Amino acid sequence: MTDTQQPAAPQNALTVRNLNFFYGQHHALHDVNIDFPARKVTAMIGPSGCGKSTLLRIFNRMYDLYPGQRAEGEVMFDGRNLLENGIDLNIMRARIGMVFQKPTPFPMSIYDNIAFGVRLHERLTRAQMDERVQDVLTRVALWGEVRDRLHAPANGLSGGQQQRLCIARSIATRPEVLLLDEPTSALDPISTARIEELLDELKEEFTIVIVTHNMQQAARCADQVAFFYMGRLVEVDTADRIFTNPRQQQTQDYITGRFG
Amino acid sequence: MSDITSKIDGWAPNPRAARRRRCDMLATLFGMAAAGILVLVLASILWTLLFNGLAGLSVAALIKPMGAPGSGGGLANAIIGSLIQTSIGLLIATPLGLGCGIYLAEYGSKLNRFASCVRFISDVLMSVPSILVGLFVYQVLVAPFGHFSGLAGSVALAILAVPIIVRTTEDMLRLVPVAMREAGAALGAPRWRVTVFLCLRAAKAGVTTGILLALARVSGETAPLLFTSLGNQNWSLSLNKPMASLPVTIYQYAGASYDDWVQLAWAGALLVTLGVLAINIAVRISARRG
Repeated sequence: MTDTQQPAAPQNALTVRNLNFFYGQHHALHDVNIDFPARKVTAMIGPSGCGKSTLLRIFNRMYDLYPGQRAEGEVMFDGRNLLENGIDLNIMRARIGMVFQKPTPFPMSIYDNIAFGVRLHERLTRAQMDERVQDVLTRVALWGEVRDRLHAPANGLSGGQQQRLCIARSIATRPEVLLLDEPTSALDPISTARIEELLDELKEEFTIVIVTHNMQQAARCADQVAFFYMGRLVEVDTADRIFTNPRQQQTQDYITGRFG
Repeated sequence: MSDITSKIDGWAPNPRAARRRRCDMLATLFGMAAAGILVLVLASILWTLLFNGLAGLSVAALIKPMGAPGSGGGLANAIIGSLIQTSIGLLIATPLGLGCGIYLAEYGSKLNRFASCVRFISDVLMSVPSILVGLFVYQVLVAPFGHFSGLAGSVALAILAVPIIVRTTEDMLRLVPVAMREAGAALGAPRWRVTVFLCLRAAKAGVTTGILLALARVSGETAPLLFTSLGNQNWSLSLNKPMASLPVTIYQYAGASYDDWVQLAWAGALLVTLGVLAINIAVRISARRG
């Protein structure tokens, strides 16, 4: 609805320049430069501890919750550097949503799980809220399963349903970017497949950045793939190129399972 | 290394296994005996209490105020006094304890000096003898005003309840997964909203349990009331005057040489116990609802 009024979308939703990140003394990300094309899925892959989740958590400044963590450089989003001091974190986080590894339903009803985030940023009438809830639940293909128990506790849903609820909750604030941190690693294959299908539909509207350990998932879902190793971006290219003919030997070794 | 475990030799009896079984049986027996003794002690207390208390418990005991020996007095003013003082005590202690527990869990990391101090002091306060709390409140709220008061009694009870509420609130909030806080922040919720609407809500059952446990703990306290609300033979609802309470009445009546007073003391003891029992059942129910 807001989307139709938008002018021609910029090429890149997020532009990262000379980004460095520190956990206290530990230098976790080194001079990262990467662009995230709008309305495309970018997968970030690499062995554990390579910095891909760290990078993801910079995009909504999750690291701000923890003293001692700090980022330097530039992450341009809608004309501003997200790392600036003047950024309103709460507004920014409404525009850049995040879904976590483990489903994190709030201790309230399914309906309120979605309304919680919306109420933070918008004043809606009851009818408008009902409509929003139905809309996002439909988009994550959960509406049919929960329409009769919207006011039942969200904890009663299965793991896969909970994760879809969390995605619904994130898109309910109408973000432009959706960050997903290994969203299917705690789910069974069927739930995983449903989430992957969902990503395919969501990318028409959102820029999606997904961290994954699952190479097939990256190959299936992503338009662009970035390979990280030891806190550095080794290579970023189209998914086809990365998985068929990467430029770097390290990338080749990783995707063929020779290390990592 | 390989010699440490004796090899299993077909179905032949294994001396080690036999020894383990004997040890297992002894440990089980010991545990059961300890549990049995504990239950016996409790049962005997309850039996004595019921036997003596029920005899003194009558409608008159519940609705008539205390009176001179032989005048057919009851416990009504002590019951009401106890209810008033514990309720006000809890009203003072709950916001303080909740606030402090929230501060310790959400803002006072283990590295924070001030928070560590508060945590330590709160824990010490939990084990301070209750008579000291009574003396302290006497010095602060009784001596300067020149008279005992129900309010002083309430404050003394509140001081005993606060550390219990602080401890359970902090512990319960710390059980809320970090992921929940991050998920709230990731939606753009300010910290206070995450704390109140997500964390506190997730910990609701545990926090309620803590408040009820504090209530159960202070409702039978006698020592802190002796120097603060003192006790009162007459009807008085004024917080500015000495106020009767069940524990203090039990203390005064149980040692008296009048039979009717002793019987009322038993009835009072039974009432306090029933009250604590009711609170504990409420604790169970609230904990299960979580």
